[in-house]
Amino acid sequence: MAERTVRRTKEWARWTLLGAAVVVLVVFLLAQRTQDVDVSYGQSPSQSGITEDDDVSLSDATVPSVPEMKEMIAADPVVRLPGSIARWDEQAVREVIGDSDVRILVAPPGLDKAERRRVMTVEADLEETVLTVVGTRSTGGLYVAVADRITGWRSQFATGDITGHLVRLISSLEKREDPELSSDFPWREPTGAELDAVAADLRTDGVHVADGATLERVPEESSAAAFPDEDALYVALPMQEFGEAVPRYGPALTRLFPDRPVVVMYGSWIEYHGPNATDFARLSATVFYAHFADRLSRYDYPQTNVLGVWLDRVTDVRYAGLFDRPLPYVPVDPLTVTLPALPWLFTACVVGFVALSFGPLSSRRGSLLQGPRARLAGLTALTIEVSGLTDERSDPSLTRGIGKLDAAREALESELPARQVRRLLDDAENELDDTARLLGRDAYRPRNYLQGRLR
Amino acid sequence: MPPSWLIWLVGGVVLVAAGVASTLLPRLRARDLRRRTAWSTARAAIDSASVSRDACQDQVAEAEQLLARAESIAADRGGAGAADEAAALAERADRLWREARRG
Repeated sequence: MAERTVRRTKEWARWTLLGAAVVVLVVFLLAQRTQDVDVSYGQSPSQSGITEDDDVSLSDATVPSVPEMKEMIAADPVVRLPGSIARWDEQAVREVIGDSDVRILVAPPGLDKAERRRVMTVEADLEETVLTVVGTRSTGGLYVAVADRITGWRSQFATGDITGHLVRLISSLEKREDPELSSDFPWREPTGAELDAVAADLRTDGVHVADGATLERVPEESSAAAFPDEDALYVALPMQEFGEAVPRYGPALTRLFPDRPVVVMYGSWIEYHGPNATDFARLSATVFYAHFADRLSRYDYPQTNVLGVWLDRVTDVRYAGLFDRPLPYVPVDPLTVTLPALPWLFTACVVGFVALSFGPLSSRRGSLLQGPRARLAGLTALTIEVSGLTDERSDPSLTRGIGKLDAAREALESELPARQVRRLLDDAENELDDTARLLGRDAYRPRNYLQGRLR
Repeated sequence: MPPSWLIWLVGGVVLVAAGVASTLLPRLRARDLRRRTAWSTARAAIDSASVSRDACQDQVAEAEQLLARAESIAADRGGAGAADEAAALAERADRLWREARRG
């Protein structure tokens, strides 16, 4: 009875293990499918996107009519419409132009669609090569010049310098080699008085807005999301004078306010200084200007808007997890924690199943109960003792009993189930019992005989 | 590095093969065991019946017939079903002879 319950439990455990293995496998496979790359960038709370609102992006500047502009460009190789901001190194550009007839039309940024179209149609039916600059975006023929590195964007947005763009355009249009040009501007240390004025403002409310800067307020939500650890300091300066050394406030302010993020705006150019500046400044600038340089160069966005979008970009970069800044608490996902354990769990289940499947087969061999063997031996001995006494009446049952005993021995040797051996032995015992009864010798009845032997 | 679908393919084939083997092998073993058990019973029954026949002085035609059928089934070999049938026939023949002898 006990043996049976053990066997039943084992069987039950075996199939449970198989079921568990299948469940684990299915869970694992399904989880593989749902495990997308889940970059936290997507959960960034930034509301990125530069506004296309006309009120914000357009300036009051306007341009003359097309015939007027044509007249102007015919009279003068460089026409600078009122409000235009682009500057360039005239000598370098003149050298590239050489003997060619190249005209340059410079328009202010923030023109509306109609005005922009007017500016762009000036060059259409003129024989000379006309370069058109709207804001700091330079076009010529089919070409548009764009900056592609930080120094380029910096001089374009901080000082309105488009020397590199014009040189590149002219040499492309005239099919000449590009001359090597450094498009950076010179930095200088800010004077003590400049620095004191800025630092005093920063100490009182964390923001310094210089005369001519268009920063009305710092977008507080974006600022808190972008720099959650420490309140950032903001310095807004207008676009710098082209050709003059630009005061470099960043490092000086970092020395005054260590461990605080310092954001310095020169026009539309944003400098970051402070913690992680070496990695962070380049990356955020590249991400931001690679995306928005085109719009920023054509339109006239106030610094408030530029800063807002830049802060959102910084938030995105932070949420991308590149800088080991603490992210908002995310509860541990049990799936990702258990997932690596699943293959081992599966293997364990399979091993358990296989072990239990083969267990009964191997255990049957050795334990082929001493009982049947002893019984067989006892009954065989009984037949030998009885064989001398039998008469004609009891002979057949003895012979049949011997036949059954032979069959039982054979069954034992060929490893047939114990049940079969027992049945054959039972048959033999019955026959021998008949024999003893017919002989009238109770002592030779198998039950009594075997008990005597065992004692 | 082999393409990942190959890993899944091989894994799937191994899994299916393991599943088939782990169900089929025990089943085949069980069937073989049952067949041998049944034949063991049948042979023992036929032996007993022939002993009973030799011990009986009278002819019992029906028993002779039954035993002959059982022996011919045994001679043809076969599965567990055939063995069971042969055993049943031999047992009936055995019983007939014993009754005739006690008679």
